[in-house]
Amino acid sequence: MDTVYILITGFISVVLINNLVLTKFLGICPYLGVSGRIDMAFGMGLAVTFVMTLSGTLTWMIDHFLLMPLGLEVARYVCFILVIASAVQLVEMYLRKFFPPLYDSFGIFLPLITTNCAILGLCLFLNLWGVNSLIEAVVLSFGGGIGFTMAICIMAGIRENLQMVDVPECLQGAPITLITAGILSLAFMGFAGMI
Amino acid sequence: MMILASFIDLVSSAGLAGVIMLGLGTVFAIVLLIAHEKLKVEVDPKIVQIHEALPNLDCGACGFAGCGGYAKGVLENPELIGRCAPGGPEVANKIAEILNLQVSSEGPPQRPIVHCRAHTGDKTYYAEYHGIASCTAANALANVQACKFGCLGFGDCVRACKFDALHIVDGLATVDYSKCTGCTACSKACPRNLIEMVPFGHENMMTVACSSRESGKVTRSMCQVGCIGCGLCAKQSDAFAVENNLARMNYAQYAPCGENEAALNKCPTGVIVYRGKTAPAPREPKAKKPAATKA
Repeated sequence: MDTVYILITGFISVVLINNLVLTKFLGICPYLGVSGRIDMAFGMGLAVTFVMTLSGTLTWMIDHFLLMPLGLEVARYVCFILVIASAVQLVEMYLRKFFPPLYDSFGIFLPLITTNCAILGLCLFLNLWGVNSLIEAVVLSFGGGIGFTMAICIMAGIRENLQMVDVPECLQGAPITLITAGILSLAFMGFAGMI
Repeated sequence: MMILASFIDLVSSAGLAGVIMLGLGTVFAIVLLIAHEKLKVEVDPKIVQIHEALPNLDCGACGFAGCGGYAKGVLENPELIGRCAPGGPEVANKIAEILNLQVSSEGPPQRPIVHCRAHTGDKTYYAEYHGIASCTAANALANVQACKFGCLGFGDCVRACKFDALHIVDGLATVDYSKCTGCTACSKACPRNLIEMVPFGHENMMTVACSSRESGKVTRSMCQVGCIGCGLCAKQSDAFAVENNLARMNYAQYAPCGENEAALNKCPTGVIVYRGKTAPAPREPKAKKPAATKA
């Protein structure tokens, strides 16, 4: 029961309170780049969730069973990037085979998941937060992905509605998007201290 | 000794890191190799062939975003053959060969003609324009120059041209026909729709280089070399017709013959000109007769 409680609180924490995008400001590139339409944003969120879960789990295992016993913590970054890049390649092939329209609409943003700092950030946070069991690592990385999906979908929903709004000329385009992102972050600050 | 020992230490641990990286890399390479084989996407080899035959300029003249899109599109809908303007009939034939089709008609290539011949000295200005140096911006302002139809000379077409085939020469957009590929980018860029794509059946085409639909008197008051719609050309040659105070050439009917030459020489404002690779310089307008004064 205790583990379940820890897992649930950890999941809620990484989705709402320590949301990678809204409180850590990681993964801003796809967050602003692919949040034009809600269906694309959702697809991007799912792709990132998959990559994040896979690479979070793998990197935790590599970190704990390979690097830490051998005292090679310095090689963490290189190893993690290797894992993430491979996972992204896998996702890319899978999407190209089974969801060609989604693959076309992502364009350059799909290979760019490789350099999505939210993913590398999460892999490093797992160590920083002192995650000690595999199941916790899986749940937390999945939660990180869900948090990203939620943030990008909220953003896309707001931006879709912004299309129909008379935005002052000097704020059109990127400025209003950044202001929206800032207000959204402020709103999520309300969750701080919930757990 | 200390230095040597620490050096050996460094090398031994770095060697371990290297082995681990190599091992991880190999594992992922094998996984990706398997995935690549299992998740292979079959691409129609014809698409690849067509794409190779195209000039790969991604100019967008065909209506697709790039050559890749056109290659896919033309395979699905062979009617689109011949849309590739830079490639011209050569590429159309190649694509037809790949698709096992015959290209029925090979029209002359399309080339742009600027329907204005007024240089800075020929035009009348009400005021000086110091705004954004773009035709689209200037066109939004009333009375930038007297003539509402003529070339503004801020070079939107020059910026649109990917082949360095357009230049503003003394306030007038001028096509360099030796570099032009007929991609239609300039004709889309012009906010005054001055640039028309014309079937260039001959090396030089004759054209009425004016777009002014004002009456002859108004045109004369604004521009030295505008078409006044007098109809002298239409009397000389059937290839010309006057509509809305403006003479127009029927390019399909055009041939370099005496009638057309006579029309060019009769034109009082010299607005009928040759355009093309070796086009002679346009004629000067005939001296304006002194207006009959009331007795």
